[in-house]
Amino acid sequence: MKTVSDLLRDADPLRDEPARGNEERNRIRALVLEAAASQPPRRASPWQRRRPALLIVAAMLAILAIAAITRFWSGGGTTLHAAAVRFEVRLAENAFAPGLRPARIVGSDGVVYLHAETVVTNDDILRSTVVANGNGPGFGVAVTFTTAGAAKMARATASHLNAPLALLVDDQVIAAPTLRSPISESAIVSGNFTKPEAERIAEGMQVR
Amino acid sequence: MADVVPAMLPMEAAERLSALVDLHYERLYRLARRLVPGSDDARDLVQETFLKAARSVAAVPLDAGAAEAWLVRVLVNIRRDEWRKAEVRSRYDEAVRLSPQVAGGQEAALVARATVWRGLDTLAPRRRAIVVMHELEGLPIAAIAALLGITAITVRWHLSVGRRELARFLEGHGGRQ
Repeated sequence: MKTVSDLLRDADPLRDEPARGNEERNRIRALVLEAAASQPPRRASPWQRRRPALLIVAAMLAILAIAAITRFWSGGGTTLHAAAVRFEVRLAENAFAPGLRPARIVGSDGVVYLHAETVVTNDDILRSTVVANGNGPGFGVAVTFTTAGAAKMARATASHLNAPLALLVDDQVIAAPTLRSPISESAIVSGNFTKPEAERIAEGMQVR
Repeated sequence: MADVVPAMLPMEAAERLSALVDLHYERLYRLARRLVPGSDDARDLVQETFLKAARSVAAVPLDAGAAEAWLVRVLVNIRRDEWRKAEVRSRYDEAVRLSPQVAGGQEAALVARATVWRGLDTLAPRRRAIVVMHELEGLPIAAIAALLGITAITVRWHLSVGRRELARFLEGHGGRQ
């Protein structure tokens, strides 16, 4: 007579089930992230509270940033030193999918999910200038791409309408506007920046 | 002003939830599949478990082992809640009554397997989880106790009672031959 253990092993439904692919796992991951994103804002989570070291690092970074900004602006007035910024444009998504990297949008709690490929970089920018936002306060940056850059943008954006386009400065997503129409030769980055922020980005984009 | 950016999930939470799904999906599915009648039920159970984690991500322990235990407990508790619902139970009872007829024309081995699994269906969810983890997953008693957050003595008791209940069911339904 078989033991209960033997009978259970014989009857185990997993013995006959095919191996599960990644589809179901990806579906659940997307569902879970969507559910979490729709939650009301919460207080700082325990794991954050359990890591005072993070706070120390953040404080040190803040001090370094303040020091850098102070040095940057030490000339006073409105003259801006054209410090190089690494500029990239990447396609992004609002929901997670395999192969995408989550990235926080600077100055907000928002997150977009970046595609691995870079569409254009500094090398693809012909000209960038500060412009006033047309329908609100703040400033933006008008960008004109090189011929090669325009071709890359046209190719990438044609099939990405109504989804975010991430603009990265020094690997930080500074804005992720929704793409409303294909972009080729030029674009306006209307990120509601202050004028100094817009000037820094515009000038930094052209430093290679 | 830039156009809307609708996703408002802090990055750390998104990364943690993604990692939880990646790390524990397979383990949870295997447990769930052995706790419920079908694979669709198992997928629903795993999905509900991860959704619970999404709704209270701050409550999920950081340590991978502790997170696994947290998820397993949530999964078993969800199953227990389902079990307690009268509607589910009555559906189950009906299924148990009907299944011998369904299986009647099949091969003897299939009937025997169905009978064993129906026997397992009669165990309360936590007891069933303990039997499954010990007999099918090969987990030692101490590990099960840690996963479920109960004492080893309680695990042993559930295991003993569960085996007895199962054996009794099988003897009564000709499934232990």
